[in-house]
Amino acid sequence: MSYIEVHDLCKRFTVRKKREKGQFLREKTIVEALKNVSFSIDQGELVGYIGPNGAGKSTTVKILSGILTPDGGEASIGGIVPWKERKKHVKRIGVVFGQRSQLWWDVPIIDSYNLLRDIYRVPENDYQKRLRELTDALDLGNILRTPLRLLSLGQKMRAELCGSLLHRPELLFLDEPTIGLDAVSKLSLRDFLKEENQKNGTTILLTTHDMEDIAALCPRVLVLGHGKKLFDGALPDLLSRYDTQRVVNVRYNGDCFLPRLPKGCSVTKEGDSYKIIYAPEQLQTPQLLSILQSAGEIRELTAQPQNVDHMIAAMYKEMDL
Amino acid sequence: MNAYASTFRMRWKMETQYRGAAFGGLFCQLFFGLFLIALYRALYAGKPQSMPVSAIVTYVWLQQAFFRMLLSDDEDLLSKIQTGSIAYDLCRPLNLYGYYYMRSMAQKALGSIMRSVPMILVAVLLPGGWGLAAPASVPALLCALAAVFLGLLCVCAMTNITMGLTMRTLDSRGVRAMLNLLMMTFSGNILPLTLFPDSWQRVITLLPYAQLLDAPIRLYTGEWALSQAPSVLITQMIWTLLLTFLGLIIWKQNQKRIIVQGG
Repeated sequence: MSYIEVHDLCKRFTVRKKREKGQFLREKTIVEALKNVSFSIDQGELVGYIGPNGAGKSTTVKILSGILTPDGGEASIGGIVPWKERKKHVKRIGVVFGQRSQLWWDVPIIDSYNLLRDIYRVPENDYQKRLRELTDALDLGNILRTPLRLLSLGQKMRAELCGSLLHRPELLFLDEPTIGLDAVSKLSLRDFLKEENQKNGTTILLTTHDMEDIAALCPRVLVLGHGKKLFDGALPDLLSRYDTQRVVNVRYNGDCFLPRLPKGCSVTKEGDSYKIIYAPEQLQTPQLLSILQSAGEIRELTAQPQNVDHMIAAMYKEMDL
Repeated sequence: MNAYASTFRMRWKMETQYRGAAFGGLFCQLFFGLFLIALYRALYAGKPQSMPVSAIVTYVWLQQAFFRMLLSDDEDLLSKIQTGSIAYDLCRPLNLYGYYYMRSMAQKALGSIMRSVPMILVAVLLPGGWGLAAPASVPALLCALAAVFLGLLCVCAMTNITMGLTMRTLDSRGVRAMLNLLMMTFSGNILPLTLFPDSWQRVITLLPYAQLLDAPIRLYTGEWALSQAPSVLITQMIWTLLLTFLGLIIWKQNQKRIIVQGG
């Protein structure tokens, strides 16, 4: 049996709408946030959990962290059903909700940490050691005595992450931890998560809309849409299905004579360079290169990296999400 | 440190950040106190009443000094419910009822101390007929202090009930306005309970609201003799236990049907 086992998990929410004129009763609609979702995750895995807004990702995280009770299905984490033995379960997990805060707004963050130490009953020695470890890794040393409200978004997120890891959770749920962060903060956060996963063997379930996060961190992805599981596997496998077009830019010294390219390819002139869009099924890259080379003397050639966001958008579209 | 004690200390620490608010509140309550006393003095000047004006003056000062203890809601928790940050509290290995109880207790205790200590100092220094009278006796003062503490426990239990109900309604302003009106009226904050008709008093002094401030004030002034103190304190304890029990049930039920807003 795997560390996390989820079988046929269901959750419904009732949404009430405002009455229309002449209508007596309010209309109620049932939204099925999760429809028979099943998956299993082993200890030490780092899994990306993606899907468009409203797919049911956060609902899953809230059920697995013992906050919500599902309407059907089963789940167990390390042999414990989260919503049945809530206190026992939450002691060994850490959660970061990217858009919310667990630290106290008006007091220095070190005070919030001390409270978390008492809440999770972390022995003092352990706590000091772990705090030093985390403040070094997350570069928090000089803001420990600053109240939360004075920190920047990036500092805040690092501080939140530290708070969630003080009690050395064996399982970490991250719900959009990189939302609103700049490039440097994102990169350092990713490095940190990777290390936490590898060094301490922490199992991580990462929910995000940032595909770069997923590509950099998660060997495995789960895709959720309309409350259903749509894909479970490696990111490259997922992407290869939607890898429909590639882009190359080329500039020539002097004149060039580009021949007609096969169907499905297009050439547009942008200033003195050409933008070539081609489908790998129609025209293979080496072929295209030899065509370009025979057309003239190439000064510069750049291939645009595969845009993961576009592929994911194509995937969501195809899956009718 | 114990998690609940630590929560109390943290909320206490947070409250000390709001010294400016406490200062403002102090002036506000001083103003109200003087204003009300002027009003009662004017009324008494017209026609002698059953109750001496000095007793009313003392009642008013104590009522103003501990104003911060009243109101059965926790702003902090309300904003957490609205923003969904409560999700974090829900995944802590704690009894949530106890966690929020300690938070509101720290808030009410420190809020009251920061305001009442300077206010009582000022009220003692005011000239006769305007100022706070000394307690009926030292044992009366001690009984009153015990009663304030029980009142604090009682009001925290009430706060948790209000908040438990708040979680069910999302926009709780209606419920809270009603409950706070009841509290303000029957705790003696609008009009000292000693001025209500005697037949009314027999009932309202038994309500939980009267346990918060009215009971300790009457013990302080000697309106209630020392021999009555045990039954007053026992009434307070019974209400505290009952309200805590009711709150625990509400919170337990809530936990089963909780929904966290947005994202």
